Amino acid sequence: MTVWSVGRDWGDARRRSFLLGLAPALLVLMAITVAPGIYLFLTSLTPLNLTMPDTAWDFSAPHYNYLDLWEDPRFSHSVIIQTKLSVATVVLQLLVGLGFALLLNRGTAVRRFARSALLVPMVLPPIVVGIIWRVMFTVDISPLHRAAAWLGLPIKSIITDPGLALWAIVFVETWEWFPFTMLMVLAALQMIPDSPIEAAKIDGANDWQIFRHITFPYIQQTLIVAGLFRLIDSIKAFPLIFVLTDGGPGDVTEVTNYYAYRQAFTFSLWGYGSAIATLMVVGIFVLSWIIDRLTRAVHAEAG
Amino acid sequence: MRKPAESAAGPGWIGRQREALGDAGALVLMVVVLFPFIWLVQMSFRPNKDIFGYDLLFMPTLDHYRALWTGAFSKSFVNSAITSGASTLLSLLIGVPAAYALSRGGFRSSRRIALWILATRMAPPIAFTIPFFLAYRHAGLLDTHLGLIIVYLTFNLALVIWMMQPFFDGVPRELEEAAWIDGCGVWQAFRVVTLPLAAPGLAATAVICFILSWNDFFYALVLTRTNASTAPVAIVNFIQYTGWEWGRIAAAGTLVMLPVVVFSMLVRNYLVRGLMAGGTKE
Repeated sequence: MTVWSVGRDWGDARRRSFLLGLAPALLVLMAITVAPGIYLFLTSLTPLNLTMPDTAWDFSAPHYNYLDLWEDPRFSHSVIIQTKLSVATVVLQLLVGLGFALLLNRGTAVRRFARSALLVPMVLPPIVVGIIWRVMFTVDISPLHRAAAWLGLPIKSIITDPGLALWAIVFVETWEWFPFTMLMVLAALQMIPDSPIEAAKIDGANDWQIFRHITFPYIQQTLIVAGLFRLIDSIKAFPLIFVLTDGGPGDVTEVTNYYAYRQAFTFSLWGYGSAIATLMVVGIFVLSWIIDRLTRAVHAEAG
Repeated sequence: MRKPAESAAGPGWIGRQREALGDAGALVLMVVVLFPFIWLVQMSFRPNKDIFGYDLLFMPTLDHYRALWTGAFSKSFVNSAITSGASTLLSLLIGVPAAYALSRGGFRSSRRIALWILATRMAPPIAFTIPFFLAYRHAGLLDTHLGLIIVYLTFNLALVIWMMQPFFDGVPRELEEAAWIDGCGVWQAFRVVTLPLAAPGLAATAVICFILSWNDFFYALVLTRTNASTAPVAIVNFIQYTGWEWGRIAAAGTLVMLPVVVFSMLVRNYLVRGLMAGGTKE
């Protein structure tokens, strides 16, 4: 048998086997992602309400849910809240994460330990993060509130204050997710060669100049990618809001995701909830498409 | 793996001072950031009469843990382990061959499949819960282990396919070619040669799948009631029934996070790759 024919048989057999290996995953993914997606979209075209069974496949007015959404002030309010929450928390996460990465980017034992320990907030079950901060934000029992009172500066409850509740969520969300940026920036910092920094030092550049002109250009793309990833995930915020504020007080922390959940699972307005979810999917896909473009650009630049 | 400290800070006296100052700063900041987390853990060991106390010296008690053990909470813990474990296994079983095929096959549609996987990673859970809830009502899968296991595939399967590919890319084809000449079939060569070499990646992937399923709150809240409810949901349930009984809540929270914290320290080097699933490719 010549080498050439080994190669061809091998290639053919492999191709067939690969299709066989790929097929189950594609079928399952199809069944659990595409089928529900279609079901969701179809439901969004009906006035489905589980207390009225005949509303299930009523397509007589397919666009009504979307028309209602257009005129629903609570929906547009939820989008504004969502935008505030997402933008504020992503910006803060990037800043805090970058700061910690720069501080911890040294090989000392202390800082290596801190690097691992600071991953904890990110991996905790989100419901536990909610409970941890519920303790911190409950006036009678929080060590922070009691310390403030002891210092003669009592602070009123933050999560029940309509003006501050959203910022409490922003704060906790930042606490939970700054390690993600930290970890990514640390990885990027490891890729920076030593020589330009040393050359700049010899030329008398100060720390800020080195950061601004050498370090920052290297980690800029990483920051953008980390920010976009966190931006998309911030749209899913649920457990924190569920435990800390339940969307309140009033509706000041009711983000779009939470509003959709309430419409469907609390008010049983499944058609309407589906319409909100469909719009969210569209929004997120547009964002994903942008990320894909960007990461490919990064890849092309790096390669 | 890092450049030595001296090269960045300078070997002199001032350099060492700066280094020590930075270390101290890092330590203080770490304690400040982790304080709320540590507070919850210590609360879980405090006796009820002193639950909000802040003296550091107190007689630790396991009362809260004991109360959880005898209550309904222990069952939810088992439920969590069953659904997370089964979903992890199932997604590895289906996803690993697919990842291998995508790594080696050179399909023209690889790019499109990768994009689709990214999309499932990005889609908001609410978009899955509504159709799954409606379908499960008819299929009788509400409040069952199987129901949750299937839903967890929506994120785990995509993660496995995406995370395992680079590990397979790293195994040289020549080894498989040699196995083929020795009479191995394609999948036999995969099992005997390639998979063992990608074992560290497989372990990391499994752990991350397990953590993601274990941490889930939203799907379990919506799709289970009592029979199959997982530990995170059980905490919320007993808050609703018995009010804010802080000692027990703290103990439950500590128990739920314990496996996750341990596991994630084991795979911390792979965490970013897992969490970014679908983004940049190394």
